[in-house]
Amino acid sequence: MIQFNYICSFFLIVLGFYTIVTKYNLVKTVIGMSVMDYGVNLLIISIGYNPGGTAPIFTAGELTRASYFVDPIPQALTLTSIVIGACVTAMSMSLVIRMHESYGTLDTREIRRLRG
Amino acid sequence: MTASIFLNGLQYLGYILIFPGFLFCFLCGMLLTGIDRKLVARMQKRVGPPILQPFYDFFKLCGKETIVPAAASRTTFLMAPLVGLAALVVIQLFIPIRGFSAFSGMADIIVILYLLLIPALAAILGAAASGSPYAGVGLSREMVTIIACELPLVLVLLAIAKTVGNAMGTGLCFSLSEIARYQVENGSLITKLSMIPAAVAFAMVIPGETGSHPFDTAEAETEICEGMHAEYSGAPLAVFKLSHAVKVLTMTSLFVALFFGGVGTGITAIDGVIVFALCVVATALFISFVHAVTARLKIEQVFKYYWTVVSGLALISLVLAWYGL
Amino acid sequence: MNFANMTDYHHFPIYAIMVLFLGAFIIAASGGKPSKNPNNPAGFRAWIALIATAASLCFLIALIRPVMLGGEVIAYWMGSRGISGGYAIGIALEVDALSLFFALLIATAVFVSAVYSIRYMVHDDCVPQYYVLYCLLAGGVLGLVLSGDIFNMFVMVEILTFAAVALTAFRTKVYGALEAAFKYLVVGCMGSTAILTGVIMLYAQYHTLNLAQLASLIPGTMNNATKLAFAFLYIGFSTKAFIVPFHPLAADAHGAAPASISVLISGVLTKSGIYGIMRLTYFLFQTMGLGRMQFMLVFIGSVSMFVCVTMALAQHDFKRLLAYHSISQIGYVLAAYHAMNHTLFKGLLFLAAGAVLHETGTTDLGKLGGLSKKMPHTTVLFLIGAFSISGVPPFNGFASKWMIYQASYQKAVDTGNIGFLLVTVIALVTSTLTLASFVKVSQSVFFGQLPKEYENVKEVPFGMRLAMGILAALCVVTGLFPKSVTALLTEPAAKAAANVGSYITSMGFKTSLPAVEVSFVEAGVWEPINWLLILCIALLAVTIVAVAGKYDRVSETTSENVETKYQLFYGGEENVYSQVGGGDLFWGFKHNWRHYFDFMHKLHSGVVNDYALWAVVALALAIVYMMIAL
Repeated sequence: MIQFNYICSFFLIVLGFYTIVTKYNLVKTVIGMSVMDYGVNLLIISIGYNPGGTAPIFTAGELTRASYFVDPIPQALTLTSIVIGACVTAMSMSLVIRMHESYGTLDTREIRRLRG
Repeated sequence: MTASIFLNGLQYLGYILIFPGFLFCFLCGMLLTGIDRKLVARMQKRVGPPILQPFYDFFKLCGKETIVPAAASRTTFLMAPLVGLAALVVIQLFIPIRGFSAFSGMADIIVILYLLLIPALAAILGAAASGSPYAGVGLSREMVTIIACELPLVLVLLAIAKTVGNAMGTGLCFSLSEIARYQVENGSLITKLSMIPAAVAFAMVIPGETGSHPFDTAEAETEICEGMHAEYSGAPLAVFKLSHAVKVLTMTSLFVALFFGGVGTGITAIDGVIVFALCVVATALFISFVHAVTARLKIEQVFKYYWTVVSGLALISLVLAWYGL
Repeated sequence: MNFANMTDYHHFPIYAIMVLFLGAFIIAASGGKPSKNPNNPAGFRAWIALIATAASLCFLIALIRPVMLGGEVIAYWMGSRGISGGYAIGIALEVDALSLFFALLIATAVFVSAVYSIRYMVHDDCVPQYYVLYCLLAGGVLGLVLSGDIFNMFVMVEILTFAAVALTAFRTKVYGALEAAFKYLVVGCMGSTAILTGVIMLYAQYHTLNLAQLASLIPGTMNNATKLAFAFLYIGFSTKAFIVPFHPLAADAHGAAPASISVLISGVLTKSGIYGIMRLTYFLFQTMGLGRMQFMLVFIGSVSMFVCVTMALAQHDFKRLLAYHSISQIGYVLAAYHAMNHTLFKGLLFLAAGAVLHETGTTDLGKLGGLSKKMPHTTVLFLIGAFSISGVPPFNGFASKWMIYQASYQKAVDTGNIGFLLVTVIALVTSTLTLASFVKVSQSVFFGQLPKEYENVKEVPFGMRLAMGILAALCVVTGLFPKSVTALLTEPAAKAAANVGSYITSMGFKTSLPAVEVSFVEAGVWEPINWLLILCIALLAVTIVAVAGKYDRVSETTSENVETKYQLFYGGEENVYSQVGGGDLFWGFKHNWRHYFDFMHKLHSGVVNDYALWAVVALALAIVYMMIAL
């Protein structure tokens, strides 16, 4: 049933896109970006998953040709990606706070001094 | 060995300074404008100035005081006319005269297209440096005229490159000396059906590039006091007038070289006279006659005209050339 | 480890990246207290940044000989963990001529901009933090182009996006800086997500992240998943290169960021995106219908060229105008190798804009004027940059554009594809429009009349002029010797881009791809040195005649109390301040295109949702194109 994971992850990514495109509140935009990130994280972790595999933690003696475990690389990648996602959220929230101070609104339709 | 290098150098110096460089440009350019003025006057039933009037004007202006406005940037203001004139003379060196070509192996038609920008750019920067609002309006119009002329010129040159390249078997050819060689072997380009619209389009570009009626919006004397030259006086103004004369020569001789090239007599002097005669005809037809029968257009009309009618003609030619007609 | 081993040039790529990150770390660790020197508020930290960037540049220059001339591909496995069982298990740096070409550009731009920053940032607060971000940004981009691991490329993309967003918002008081940073962050983040998705889909297919191994595995095993991955990666890197439809972000970010950062955004960030696209197209996916791919790139390049140059004509702000030109030129870059010259002249122009901002406090074209009398050196340097970008011979822009015209028209003739013909025409016309908008800038900023409030403006400090001078000198030199530059830098890079086989084998993987021979045919001729020689002789002759004819018998006055004849001519009206300039200078052109300009103005609405929508649509179109056409 790994396909379900894939469908879910792409659903999350598209949901993130949808939120960013249609919501006019800056905080919701940031939420959309997070949702997008979660979707990708789910995709990465699903790709590394092997049904029935164990955790990829072995000492040198235990590791044989027949060892069956989930792919450890995507897990490492996911960790990196989660950290980056947290950074994105922190950074965009700090920008949102500063924008609220200087514009007095969170509506994207009013935050458009630069155009044309 | 040293002697031959020295002689070569002397020969090239001769090319640059005498023929087809400075002296030739000066005399023929001035003569062309003189003929133009006389012809226009005759077409309008005036007596008109003597044909040598541009020479008199030039030397008279050189004797006048040169005034640099307090608001101007002195160096740019004074250097601009000189750079423009020098660049025009260099372009003239690249244009082949029948079989003879001084330096035409060194540049191609795309380079010529860009080199033609330098004199205009020099005039624009000089005008900008003068600080005058009239010059400001004038340079704005000059730049729009350049943009307007650029599209048809590009299309014409691409059509030529394709036509010559087809015949040469290389697919396309930008080199001026190759184009001259093609015309020596196969006759003038104007004899090709596909090149006729291009030639007409190029002829229509000539008055725009040289800033004569009805496309002289950039220096409209009656509205903006000669525009870009409003603050110029004395010798720099004389150099600008000379540049204009040389530009007439450059554009017409480029026209002749691209469309009416062919076998030369082998004697450079006679070739020069033939080319000059053709230039006179081109000037009479495309500058004087057009000048006499039209009134000045507005700048947006100039732009529209070039990007629709003239570009359309050039495009027809390009399409014909593309399908090998 | 002995010393001789450490100075082996195989270590230089990682040193070049490390010194920058190390610099960032030291600056950050030294605290944020500004120094007392009013001319350098960051104190020694500025010097650390300068030394780090200079060291990085030196390491890369040392690599020219083996990589560019020797044709070697440097494979550097971190911690010596290389290939095991046919799979790359280590993380690698892979430096071929293409990587090095971009790395050199980046290091040069970063170094020059660091020189410039020292005096430029004196009016700002938190300058130490500025240098932290600066070094991070530089390290991120350098890491991206030297990396041989596609996931590392993603990480570096994120680092540089963060640093760039933070630096865009650095001057929080600047009109619209926060907004620009936020828009950039949102769309940039969508791009990064797309890159990560693409990377992970490739990993799912091939179980490797190493570029060389991917390049050896992908040919012949293409399926819909790899095509989808390619579409995601392509869109991801386009957001980094700001090509259409992501150009509004660049305009916003350039306008708000300090000029030294605008140089990096235009000269460095966009290049990293272009580098990514090139690696993808010519390396990983070189078997997927290259003709169609090239056509798509060239098509997008031409659209970028034209749309952005017309948008630039409509701008009222110096830096926004430059930003649009930057993307317009990126269109040329996509179509061919114009990258190096773009970095040089664009950097120069942004630095000139920064100099104007530094002295006058504004970049509004409508308010400036007549600065050439006050800032003569900046004016000359700006003009060199403007001539270069407009492709006026003999500056470097002309040499590269000239090759583009030849190449695209040759392509049109060879393939019979009328689309390439259109590209030639658009490229030529765009060049003239570029010239037009720089005429507008020079008239509005440097020439014309000097407004009263700028009577006391001075020339910028020497440090800033030095930075501009370096770039100007490079512009002229590369314009005069295009053949040598091509032989030394661009030709090895072009060959490396086409020669995937040797890249893969030198990394220790097997491939069936044959070595490709790249040859350059030129249909025209252009000899800038001879041309310049003739021009100089002609100019000399004209000048001698002119001087002999008393051309310089000039009477002028400098006193405040000018005589009437030295005042400007006003047709008998009273002498008033009347500067012609600003946004409406080319009214005659814009009038004919008014419907187009109205439409474009409405389209670039400035609402972040719209730009996000463009990104989604672009992604959708890319996926559809990949699925149908390839």
